[in-house]
Amino acid sequence: MSLDAAGQEIVKEMENQLNRNYFLKGIKVLFKQPLALVGFAIILIQIILAVGANWLTAYDPTAQDLSHVNLPIGSEHHWLGTDNYGRDMWSRLIYGARISLIIGFTSVSLGTIAGTILGLLAGYFRVLDGIIMRISDLMFAFPGILLALLIVAILGSSLVNVVIAISIWSVPSCARIVRGNVLTVKKQEYITAMRSLGAGHLRIIFKHILPNSLAPIIVFGAMHMATAILSTSSLSYLGLGADPATPEWGAMISNGQQYMWQAPHLVIIPGIAIALVVFAFNVVGDALRDVLDPNMNIDQL
Amino acid sequence: MFAMIIRRMVQLVFLLIGITFIVFMAMHIAPGDPASIIGGPTATKTDIIQIRERLGLDRPIIIQYLDYLNGLLHGDLGISFQTNRSVAEEIWIRLPNTVNLAVASVIVSILIGIPLGIISALKRNSWLDVFSTTVSLGGISVPHFWLGAIFILIFAVHLKWLPVGGLHAPFWTPQGFKEIILPAITLGTGSAAMTARMTRSAMLEIIRADFVRTARAKGVKERAVIWVHCLRNAMIPVVTVIGLNFGGLLGGTIITEQVFAINGVGRLMIESISARDFPMVQGGVLLIATIFVVINLLVDIVYALIDPRINYD
Amino acid sequence: MKKSKKVLGLVLSVLFLIGLVLTGCSNQSSESSSGKSSGKLNTPQEITYASTSKVVGLSPIMTNDSVSANVITQIYETLFVKDPDTMEIKPNLAESYENPDPKTWVIHLKKDIKFTDGTPFNAEAVKYTFDKLRDPKTGAPRASLLAAVDTITVKDDYTVVIKTKQPYGPMLAALAHYNSSIVSPTADKKQDLMKKPVGTGPFMLKEWVAGDHITLVKNPNYWKGAPKLDKVTFKVVPDVNTAISMLQTGDVDFLDGIPAEQWSRVQGMAGVKTIKKTGTPVSYLGFNVRHKPFSELKFRQAIAYAIDRDAYVKQLNGLGTKSNSIIGPKVFGYDPSAEKVGYEYDPEKAKQILKENGWEGMTIHMLVANTPGYMKMGEIVQDQLKKVGLKVDMQTMEWGTFLDVSKQDKFDITFLGWSNSTADGSELLYPNLHSDNIGASNVTAYNNPEFDKLVNESRFTVDQKVRKEKLDEANKMAIKDAPWIVMNHGVVTLAYRDNVKGLNIDPTGEWSLYPVYKE
Repeated sequence: MSLDAAGQEIVKEMENQLNRNYFLKGIKVLFKQPLALVGFAIILIQIILAVGANWLTAYDPTAQDLSHVNLPIGSEHHWLGTDNYGRDMWSRLIYGARISLIIGFTSVSLGTIAGTILGLLAGYFRVLDGIIMRISDLMFAFPGILLALLIVAILGSSLVNVVIAISIWSVPSCARIVRGNVLTVKKQEYITAMRSLGAGHLRIIFKHILPNSLAPIIVFGAMHMATAILSTSSLSYLGLGADPATPEWGAMISNGQQYMWQAPHLVIIPGIAIALVVFAFNVVGDALRDVLDPNMNIDQL
Repeated sequence: MFAMIIRRMVQLVFLLIGITFIVFMAMHIAPGDPASIIGGPTATKTDIIQIRERLGLDRPIIIQYLDYLNGLLHGDLGISFQTNRSVAEEIWIRLPNTVNLAVASVIVSILIGIPLGIISALKRNSWLDVFSTTVSLGGISVPHFWLGAIFILIFAVHLKWLPVGGLHAPFWTPQGFKEIILPAITLGTGSAAMTARMTRSAMLEIIRADFVRTARAKGVKERAVIWVHCLRNAMIPVVTVIGLNFGGLLGGTIITEQVFAINGVGRLMIESISARDFPMVQGGVLLIATIFVVINLLVDIVYALIDPRINYD
Repeated sequence: MKKSKKVLGLVLSVLFLIGLVLTGCSNQSSESSSGKSSGKLNTPQEITYASTSKVVGLSPIMTNDSVSANVITQIYETLFVKDPDTMEIKPNLAESYENPDPKTWVIHLKKDIKFTDGTPFNAEAVKYTFDKLRDPKTGAPRASLLAAVDTITVKDDYTVVIKTKQPYGPMLAALAHYNSSIVSPTADKKQDLMKKPVGTGPFMLKEWVAGDHITLVKNPNYWKGAPKLDKVTFKVVPDVNTAISMLQTGDVDFLDGIPAEQWSRVQGMAGVKTIKKTGTPVSYLGFNVRHKPFSELKFRQAIAYAIDRDAYVKQLNGLGTKSNSIIGPKVFGYDPSAEKVGYEYDPEKAKQILKENGWEGMTIHMLVANTPGYMKMGEIVQDQLKKVGLKVDMQTMEWGTFLDVSKQDKFDITFLGWSNSTADGSELLYPNLHSDNIGASNVTAYNNPEFDKLVNESRFTVDQKVRKEKLDEANKMAIKDAPWIVMNHGVVTLAYRDNVKGLNIDPTGEWSLYPVYKE
């Protein structure tokens, strides 16, 4: 059955209105929140450092200099000092920014894409709902870090496997959030209207339900960036993360922890970096939720 | 309601069987042989073959699994490869410590999270809101192992106020209280953020709700509005988050137990995974999963009881 | 909105109250602890030790890890012991021994010794213990320790005769190993010694909270006289930083195996003393000689030239010594002349060899267990190999996986160690480099018939002088052939509160609490 011209017109009009609303309003309000701005600024700085790492330092983050180890902050040639292998801390910090962004971004995108697809399917097609949700229950029942631990134990410890572990870990919660949203959106009148106007399942899912579920997905993504970065560092603490030469912040902490008394900067610098970045993603995610959560209309307050 | 509980219980059984299957297969597929770990680097080939026979690992994997399931049906979680003790006994020794820690940190998260959430909601977009958001989100952003190490350094090593580690008494006894403070704060700050954010948004939602407006319009005192109408209703989603947090905390205690030398289930899990102590890992995951699912169920029941709008049938 | 301020006030005051309670309690605690330290008149003879992993079990037959060994050696005893300073093997539960022929060991036992369950210690107990250890059905992790034994017979109550298939040189070293501790046969038949140990040693098990702590109390009837300590607690503290903090606060009285990174912190602590000794453990870089070009001596030499081991050992802060010799200075079979054999740091020579053979820019697959010590070796070697123009792909793994993977053919170079707990060179060269053990403890798959012959000769004779010569020859051959590059020889350490007296550690890392007391 094909749409008639008038029906198509109406559908398009509805689509445009619905989609535009959230984002414009969202971005406007976001900038009214001071914390969110701080968060954005931190993320922006991290992106700049990550992208510009090659130009911002002359040192290879993995090059050792065993005759200049554990130099303190403010040393000549190494303004953030060096670590226990004489590697430049500033260089490790900014290359670490790149790694944490890449890990966060890839694991969140993988997890979110898979979670979204599953969530959409579960929410939209009742037949699939049972199976998908039971599987997600099953995964939910594993405590997060234990699941990651098991996965890394099976696959071996490397950054790629950490990314896989963290993505898998995030799939069920994302699927659940999306499914919940789909269930609400599906019931709304305009969806029913479009069905009766003859729109196909795929069109409805991707043009209407998905855009309407984007808000929680984005919020989830931002919050999960924080979780991903934090979990990577926890796995590294347990000795299951990056190989120790990689300037990954968590690995830097667990390596530096043994020198906490001689060279506290080895722990403090990456610790602060993690905390700041995780904080930034949390704050932005939080602000986004305030703004994008359709249940909460900001204008009223 | 009753039908829902029955249905969920049946689901639970299948869920748990699914979990045993996944964990069992995963552990057997994973590289790393329990026998070569028990044998250590000194073991000869003969040593390892003999250990494998002793542990029953020379049998086909399906037989091993069925044997395990059969044991489970008779309430037998098996014997630890490493220590020769029954898995149930090993877990039972450690469970009180983990529950102790989890409960104490839920209390910490409530004590920190709910007040911060209320402040945020009442003073929306003021500096107080910013402050409390910063505190609660700051808490969730710091890596636990880092925070724990710094707490130990300050409060135990330098100020000598609190013990460095260990947990040997329930948290309401004087000894247990001293021992639990640092670990509970370390672990509780993370979930405090979630509790705070949930309280805040729940409060905000309720404040705008019709019945609150009506109450205000009727001239009910502001304090009464906040306490009687808002807070009570806002507590529904908060209870959910706390419940879920508690279930999650049982697994999340892993790192805190590690840092503070607490002999809990989480630490047992790490040790057992790295020692490839299959029966122990299976037993532990089964237990944690069961607790998690049961708490979920309880949360749903409480939810249904508090909020008449929800109907599961 | 005015009212909400009151709410806020209320909340804040609640928080304030919580704060008060918290500080109140902490004040109490500091008072009580200061009260304790003032009453110093009669020091309780109790001592606490912390390990970073748990005790698996307390049966010498069924365990093979150093943490369990630390407790087991306080509860059980062996027929022979090593002198902690000279490493000479002396009778302990044994009175004397003789070799009527090279395949026969007649061991006379001390009399009037009882296990802590009242069972008499006699030849029957020795036979029972060793037969159990050797029995394939037992599945003992160190069954190989007595693999050379053919029969064990009881000649009379206090004489045991051990017959070996071939003359077996390291016999006494094997009998001095903690895995050959004698257990009470009555107890073993009745109960699981893993949980309820019974030995002849100076201490007995009182309480065991699995994974948390073990409490031992003195054996008042100990045959050498009761120990001075009344009570010993073995705690588990998984995070080594926490454990060291506990030493600093006095929650723990002593620790062993201090990591190199923490050494200066421990040394700087008020009220803490340290012992440091050259030990028997050896750490090495191993080539997988099944792979090309690792099978070629030239290539192994190039790598040996490329590694600056002085720079590496310097990173150990004194907790490791540089040596070229595979058999370490505290191990039987060592001769100082072995130091002159190896390859010294010479990056130019390394580059030249690599260039001549077209190995430049090659990628090496390096397998590293993710414990701090091996990771340190891996990181430093990775960087040094990079400097001579090789690429290194480093793969880290947790210990359990590593043990499995390292026995397969899945790496080019790796790092491992050998604790040498028997302190006998044959027990180092045979398991690690003899072709019999390829696929098990010989991870490099080194296969050299000439070397095998020398090692066998060192094992199958009881003439200790001949053994020493053969071991030295084999050692030098392996150093030249370089299947291993010795990274360092270990240093064993103890750190203890200064009121603990009489503590000593032997080069294998073992210590006894029998002579220890507290002031």
